[in-house]
Amino acid sequence: MSKTITASGPLTRWRTIDLLTCAFLGVAFGVAYWAWGLVYSVPSEAVSAPFPPLGALFNWPWLVAGIVGMLIIRRPGAAVFTELLAAIVSALIGTQWGLTTLVSGLVQGLGVELGFAVFGYAVYSWGPLLLGGFLAGAFEAVYEWYSYWTDWAWDYKVAYLFLLGGSVAVFGSLLAVALTRVLAAAGALNPFPPGQELREQRAV
Amino acid sequence: METRHENASRDAAREPGGLSVQVRDLTWRPFGRSRPVLDGLDLTVEPGERVLLAGPSGSGKSTLLRAVAGLLLTADAGDLSGTVTVGGLGPQDVPGSVGLVLQDPGAGVVASSIGRDVAFGLENVSLPPGEMPSRVEAALREVGLTMSPDSSPATLSGGESQRLALAGALVMEPSVLLLDEPTAMLDAATAGDVRAVVADVVERRGLTLVVVEHRLDGWLDLVDRLVVIDDSGSVVADGEPRQVLREHGDSLAAQGIWVPGMPDPVPLTLDLEPARGAAAGRVPPGRVVAAASDVRVEHRSRRLGERSRTTLAVDSADLEARAGRSVALVGPSGAGKSSLMSALGGLAEPARGTVDVALPLTPAETGRRAVARDRLAPPHEWSSPDLARVVAWVPQRAATSLVGRTVRDDVLTTPLALGHDPDVAGRRADALLGALGLAHLADADPRQLSGGEQRRLAMAAAVAHGPALVLADEPTVGQDRLTWAAVSGVLAAARDEGAAVVVTTHDPGVVGHADRVVRLEAPTPPLAAREPERHPLLARVGPLALLVAALCVLPLPALLDTWRQGLAVLAVEVVLGLVGLLAPGRGRAPEGRLRGVLARLAPAALAVVGVAWSAWLLGGRDLEVASGAALRVLCLLVPSAFVVGFLDPEGLGDHLAQRVRLPARPVVAATASLQRLQSFDTLWRELMTTRRVRGIRADRGPLARAREAVVVTGGLLIGALGQASTLALAMDARGFAEARRRSWAGPAPWRLPDTLAVGAGLLVVAAAVAARLLLP
Repeated sequence: MSKTITASGPLTRWRTIDLLTCAFLGVAFGVAYWAWGLVYSVPSEAVSAPFPPLGALFNWPWLVAGIVGMLIIRRPGAAVFTELLAAIVSALIGTQWGLTTLVSGLVQGLGVELGFAVFGYAVYSWGPLLLGGFLAGAFEAVYEWYSYWTDWAWDYKVAYLFLLGGSVAVFGSLLAVALTRVLAAAGALNPFPPGQELREQRAV
Repeated sequence: METRHENASRDAAREPGGLSVQVRDLTWRPFGRSRPVLDGLDLTVEPGERVLLAGPSGSGKSTLLRAVAGLLLTADAGDLSGTVTVGGLGPQDVPGSVGLVLQDPGAGVVASSIGRDVAFGLENVSLPPGEMPSRVEAALREVGLTMSPDSSPATLSGGESQRLALAGALVMEPSVLLLDEPTAMLDAATAGDVRAVVADVVERRGLTLVVVEHRLDGWLDLVDRLVVIDDSGSVVADGEPRQVLREHGDSLAAQGIWVPGMPDPVPLTLDLEPARGAAAGRVPPGRVVAAASDVRVEHRSRRLGERSRTTLAVDSADLEARAGRSVALVGPSGAGKSSLMSALGGLAEPARGTVDVALPLTPAETGRRAVARDRLAPPHEWSSPDLARVVAWVPQRAATSLVGRTVRDDVLTTPLALGHDPDVAGRRADALLGALGLAHLADADPRQLSGGEQRRLAMAAAVAHGPALVLADEPTVGQDRLTWAAVSGVLAAARDEGAAVVVTTHDPGVVGHADRVVRLEAPTPPLAAREPERHPLLARVGPLALLVAALCVLPLPALLDTWRQGLAVLAVEVVLGLVGLLAPGRGRAPEGRLRGVLARLAPAALAVVGVAWSAWLLGGRDLEVASGAALRVLCLLVPSAFVVGFLDPEGLGDHLAQRVRLPARPVVAATASLQRLQSFDTLWRELMTTRRVRGIRADRGPLARAREAVVVTGGLLIGALGQASTLALAMDARGFAEARRRSWAGPAPWRLPDTLAVGAGLLVVAAAVAARLLLP
């Protein structure tokens, strides 16, 4: 990822295909989030029984949509739009957390946005990925402190924040980058910067 | 009357009838291609002229249509030069002046009702909502859609969907109509209906028409000019249709175009080395390979904001497939041809009836289960490799059936998964690829192939291991002559090897080559309940109010301290929720109200247990602390469980845009994509079925399953992005690109039930405050 192609046209002017791609990604991830909600709890409860903050290791998949949206569209707002829609869709299908996922989706998306905003939405490599992923996980952790882990002591809370932030930054970013590469290789990202990068590489 | 007057005033402002189209020196090279798709193309279409555009697959016909619509850069990136003008202006300068209808029926649908869908373009040009209904109704009438405007687009047949797309373009009063293979996916009779509607509309409005189609018959009488483009994207013939055909008919047919009067192509002859370990041929020719008797197949589907519905796909149907024979399954769309075929091949479990596969093909079964049976194991219970050995299936969308990294890998997937000798399998694969004209693409990524190439590849991959039962779903629809010959050749070769072949089709050519024809009629659906259901109170609340009411719980974690407070608030929530489920009035009592709530809460139980456990662990192993934490989480989750089933996403979009004033375009994009949720479910199941029938489904092991989930999610995303780009094209063709300010056909009223619902939400917060102050 030595060279980064940014979105063509003004960053605030979204094309229809930008909007729809974010929206369809959001819906597809919403379905995946809902499905993950059905299967994650057994391993998560098992791991977190002795040390509850370890549950973070099974929570990072819910933050991937925003990162993928940002990696593909490369415009301000892409992470919030994708992640928020994924959260709404999973709630509408009927996830156990109901409509409170909206808050999660919003703060997670904002975390990713912030990471890329620090780099002026001009860099799409590991720097903003790690920062944005960590912030997204940290924001979500703070929201969960408030809503679920009210009774935890500070050592647990801080451990949970770093575990979630770290696993989103590493695992979440890895999965997002891998998915983006798969999509680009399949020719599904031709109208977007990552697809263009791939084609430029091949053109040499 | 009002409509006519309005049309007249608009027409007076604009040129009446069609406008001219001028294409000058148009060159288009998508990034990553060495050769341009269109190369210095010039074309002039006079006002009111009707042009049929023909050329081999990949010659850039669709690309040219998109260029004329001014939408080339909507869904792709590349180098574009030259000019396109419509009536002297840019094609997108007047939104809706160039109407575009795409090949795939339903690909451009944006709304949950056909009336709302037609109104989409009017919303984009900010027409006042009061003027919309009359124009929408006029457009629907013009294309002959007589059902209620409230009907769901999902209930339309392929031909009706294409007419809906046409109405969506016509309502914007276009001067130029562009049709991109509008009848390629339809059977002959339906295609004729669509053509008749087009002819009628174009005649009455005097529109300029450009049609791309590779089946020319039917269109020739309707157009006054035939333009032929060649492989390099330049015009090679142009003139009076019959004249052009006399001079170029043979070369067009040789390039794969269906030229009227030419005999059907001869199925390709394939000379294949027998696959070692093949299931084909184990049953003697003429004997039954698989038989379905008295089969019923049901589909469950669910749309957001509605309960799941079971529809009857096939009822009391029989089907026999015999070795070395082929069956063509015909009947109107919706007759359940694909469902019956799936049941026969063990891809779907029949709700009633039996499916039996010949003894030499049924996998050996031991143990208690086998003893308990009075017949052989039905194929839907077989493991993935067992099924793959016997059954091959090519779905209608060939793209979803591709699983390999390269074309050759894809063909070899099933033989290698079944443990066939790699050398023998490789020779057979190469022979297949060679015969089907794919040898030069052996190392290419299958997802980069054209539609016709993918179809041929899917056929090759299906028969590579010599299956005993080959199922193909509409294998020739939308294909040119070359691919048609290849597909029929593969089916014939499989049959000659001793396989039983079943094909669902509308294609007379395919029916003509079949040994037997089975006709299915649509099952009669059970009579609908005569009395309509009563609506629960929550169903009378608008979506925004429901959302706000459910989100009123957000301050609760800060308010609730002890288990007594939690229990009190939970009680208030449950009582309010149950009141919301009441359905006063006349009519049948609605079913499954509480069941839905409990189903949504069941997975939450685990989350609650997790929170309680960690609180217990930390809170000095105190039961009161643990139950307090558990109740606090339940208070957060219970209101949503009551409300979510009643949230209609399209209505929510209307409210968010009109009442909360969220930006219009993202809201529309989100609601349009939510309409496709159902298709994701279908796609997911199709991808999984493909893996099962190709012998690579992960049957056990969490790691293998996780890997499979990632791979299939990738496939799902690829499918989703494909849909997104087609929909972007369809929406921009209806003026969405510049619709930063738009009007809304759907109202967003705020009524008494909305206020009451928000009041109930606030009551929960008040209860929490009271509980904190009053309870220990």
